[in-house]
Amino acid sequence: MDQILFALLNGTIYGLLLFMVSAGLTLIFGMMGVLNFAHASFYMLGAYFAYTLQPLTGFWLAIILAPILVMGVGILVERFILRHVHEHGHAHELLVTFGLSVVIAEMIKMVYGKFAVDYRVPAELNFAAFSLSGIDYPFYRLFMGGIAVVMFIAIYLLLTKTRVGIVVRSAIYRPQMVEALGHNVPMVFMGVFGIGAALAGLAGAVAGAFYTTNPNMALELGVMVFVVVVVGGLGSMGGAMAASLLIGITNSLAVGSDFRIADILTWIGMGGWAEEIGGLLTMRMSSLAATLPFFIMLLVLVLRPSGLMGEKE
Amino acid sequence: MKYAPLLLLVTVAVLIALPWLVSGSMLNAAVQMLIAALFAMAFGLLCGQAGMLSFGHAAYFGVGAFAAVHAMNAFGGEGLLPTPLLPLVGGATGLVSGLLAGYFSTKRTGVYFAMITLALAELLHALAPHLKTVFGGEAGVSSFRMPAWGIGFGSLNDVYFLTLVWTLLCIGLLYLFSKTPLGRLALGLRENAHRLRFLGYNTHALGTLIFAVSAMFAGIAGALQSMNIEAANYVVLESHISTAVVLNSFIGGVRVFLGPAIGGAVMTFFGHVTSDLTRVWLLYQGIIFVLVMMFLPRGLVGELVERIRNPSGEGFARTLSTLLARLASLAIAAFGAVFLIEFLQRVLSPEYRAGVTDGNWPDIALFSYDWAPLSVLPWAFGLGLFGIGIALVTMVNRRVAARKEAQA
Amino acid sequence: MSDPILSLQHVHKSFGEAHIIRDANLDVIPGERHAVIGPNGAGKSTLFHLCSGQFAPSEGKILLNGKNIAGLKPAEVNRRGLARSFQITNIFPGVTVFENLRLAVMRKHNLQFVFWRSAARLRVVNEEVDDLLTKIRLTDRAQTLASQLSYSEQRSLEIGMTLASDPQVILLDEPMAGMSHEETDYTAGLIREITEGRTLLIVEHDMSVVFSLAHRISVLVYGEIIATGTPEEIRGNARVKEAYLGEEAA
Ligand SMILES: Nc1ncnc2c1ncn2[C@@H]1O[C@H](COP(=O)(O)OP(=O)(O)OP(=O)(O)O)[C@@H](O)[C@H]1O
Ligand SMILES: [Mg+2]
Repeated sequence: MDQILFALLNGTIYGLLLFMVSAGLTLIFGMMGVLNFAHASFYMLGAYFAYTLQPLTGFWLAIILAPILVMGVGILVERFILRHVHEHGHAHELLVTFGLSVVIAEMIKMVYGKFAVDYRVPAELNFAAFSLSGIDYPFYRLFMGGIAVVMFIAIYLLLTKTRVGIVVRSAIYRPQMVEALGHNVPMVFMGVFGIGAALAGLAGAVAGAFYTTNPNMALELGVMVFVVVVVGGLGSMGGAMAASLLIGITNSLAVGSDFRIADILTWIGMGGWAEEIGGLLTMRMSSLAATLPFFIMLLVLVLRPSGLMGEKE
Repeated sequence: MKYAPLLLLVTVAVLIALPWLVSGSMLNAAVQMLIAALFAMAFGLLCGQAGMLSFGHAAYFGVGAFAAVHAMNAFGGEGLLPTPLLPLVGGATGLVSGLLAGYFSTKRTGVYFAMITLALAELLHALAPHLKTVFGGEAGVSSFRMPAWGIGFGSLNDVYFLTLVWTLLCIGLLYLFSKTPLGRLALGLRENAHRLRFLGYNTHALGTLIFAVSAMFAGIAGALQSMNIEAANYVVLESHISTAVVLNSFIGGVRVFLGPAIGGAVMTFFGHVTSDLTRVWLLYQGIIFVLVMMFLPRGLVGELVERIRNPSGEGFARTLSTLLARLASLAIAAFGAVFLIEFLQRVLSPEYRAGVTDGNWPDIALFSYDWAPLSVLPWAFGLGLFGIGIALVTMVNRRVAARKEAQA
Repeated sequence: MSDPILSLQHVHKSFGEAHIIRDANLDVIPGERHAVIGPNGAGKSTLFHLCSGQFAPSEGKILLNGKNIAGLKPAEVNRRGLARSFQITNIFPGVTVFENLRLAVMRKHNLQFVFWRSAARLRVVNEEVDDLLTKIRLTDRAQTLASQLSYSEQRSLEIGMTLASDPQVILLDEPMAGMSHEETDYTAGLIREITEGRTLLIVEHDMSVVFSLAHRISVLVYGEIIATGTPEEIRGNARVKEAYLGEEAA
């Protein structure tokens, strides 16, 4: 029972992290129509920047400065690259960001090497928040979840309660109209792109210390974020939230599970056959955990192709 | 364009004569180039003609590769088919997996499609290590090419010709495919799937089928690859294979028929010749891709074809001199950038940093000079050349713009 | 009166809270040219979207040849003999005019999953395309990219593609919008000619066209069909006058 509680908590926090990245992606997509393939690269940059800054500034300042630096990178990318190719259409913009993700990953490899760097949770945050049946629960996980929650509240308030937020929200639906009303839409775009990047950078700076910080982290998280977006529907924040939590939780429940498909088949008397076939049928759920989100995605594609809360294209 | 058939003929003739013209290492590179060209053409069918951007084409290349080794090993090493026909197995496996994956991924269009293809490829990549019987675990699966039809298939020459025949055949088939009703409908899918539906077409089925055809040719390319190295390892399922085919195809240009093939071949060639000189070829590949997408959105071949079709009207000499001036200034900028990147790479490399002892930074040899990393000189040299090159390009562009204005 | 070929029965469509079509009832008789008129935003295009499978109605039935087609997919509706054009030009911009029409014609000949024949050698298809090109007066533009046509040429292409599948029922959504006088006259003649032996449902703002072309007219105002009748009946209808004058006064 406690196991399940832990798994639920872990999953929720991982889900919140996924949402922190997918929220920025959704925001940028909704507003500019650009699927920013390099979005997860911003997450990775956040982790590496924080790792680099930490010895100089200490952990706290590092996780504040890293997202700001990432925001700078994001703004440069938007201003000097994306805007330049805007006229060629969204598919072209997607490709350019895809190329950028390659460039960023290769630069990281060149500067920091191909293997994980030693970016760790600082000692003052490395303690148990509570323990259940003798198992400690790391405080840092709760800290990550807390940061994510604070971020959402801040963004939610920004979008709904401020004038800028109203302009941003209407620019998502009617960019020409907003432009005609005299707002500087390119500037708004640049800001949203920068903030989306900063969000991803913050997620990376915080999560990089807990999980591993290596040149593959962008791809690994990026794929999960794409799965989230396909499952939830790019159009809606609500969908992104629901899908993030769904994927985060199933993932961590599966990690702790010994369940095998062969076990079900035993119930209907086909256990022997399944053991003989082996392969997927006799694999433990825990080793398949990494693939579970993909199967959820396939299921959603069959049952509800436009996503949990998505609109039809 | 009237010289196109002639050009094609000469190219094929050179390709046939190649084993007598180049060294063994080059011939090996040529095999890789042919495979990359075919793989890129398969991708080009899906992405260029049908407008569906796949970020996960390694999956179909990979299953083709594994299918071919298993087929080679079938019947106690006798092989399922005679060696020259083994790529068919790769193609069939690619086709079947393409039907399956295509069914799911074409449920959505546009960016969703792209994300699903990536996710499916990653799914396979995540599953592969657990399926040891199929993918052979860390070690992969290895095999032998058996002699068949009186050919030994032991020598590089034999492998080269096998690859050449299959590549040319497949590219020919792809050309013919583009002329069939289904091939024309691929264009319709790219241009306006919504209207196709209102004309009575089943766009999901069309998309799935075209996806499968593309996966089939990717599978053949994969089979050629694993037959060449007589092994397959789940490295072929990794994302950088998918990435490379996207980069190569777009650098060549996906909207002109042979664009992807030329992009694939040329980039593989450069990858081969620079493999001893640089460790960051992928970085260059990424940068070239981004620059091409920014400044030559049709791709290199696409741009060339466009220039030939719609000449600038400035006359041959003028056009040529402008082109040469641009290329020369770009070369200067590129040299500066390459110098900087290579110097940085060397300074940052672990081997070099291990040699740094208490503030003593040894000199670094680059382009036959020794440079002190702590002096301004190397940095100024690289940055300076880069700056000069960019300034020259800007100047040439201004001149051209001024001339155009004067004409108008 | 013969059985209607297309019949809308208590059709209702809402997007969230917005009720766009309210209890629409309409019978289109085989062989007639039927016009739908109404002020901007009345729901005319939405009505066409419902008939052609773009949207499913929230309530009600749409019968084509007596069979309910409400909620069917566009491709299925097309195969049952109903083809439509779009108010906002909806063509294949990056390929030639010839190719646009060929794609439209191929479906009729069941050339969907065919990969063993050359499209250039499909004699019947290519002849039909040439025929259509003549009809819509685009023969000398056949090899031009559709995106490079003028606006009114694109409108003609739009009509040509709609005709290509040889449908029983044709829905044209403002086919003449943006055309010159001469082009409008020609297109009206063309529509008259091509709808011989078929049934036409047309939305058009040009009243002279509507009144000379249509056998019967339905008036749609705020999602409700307030009147259906011959042009004379519609001219004399008090509610129609009120709706149109009210609109102008506002
Ligand atoms: N997908 C949709 N979601 C919400 N509202 C819609 C949607 N489509 C159309 N509408 C609304 O339905 C109303 C009717 O639109 P419709 O396009 O059918 O009008 P119309 O009669 O064709 O007008 P026009 O003469 O300008 O073409 C409009 O107020 C429009 O804003
Ligand atoms: Mg309308």
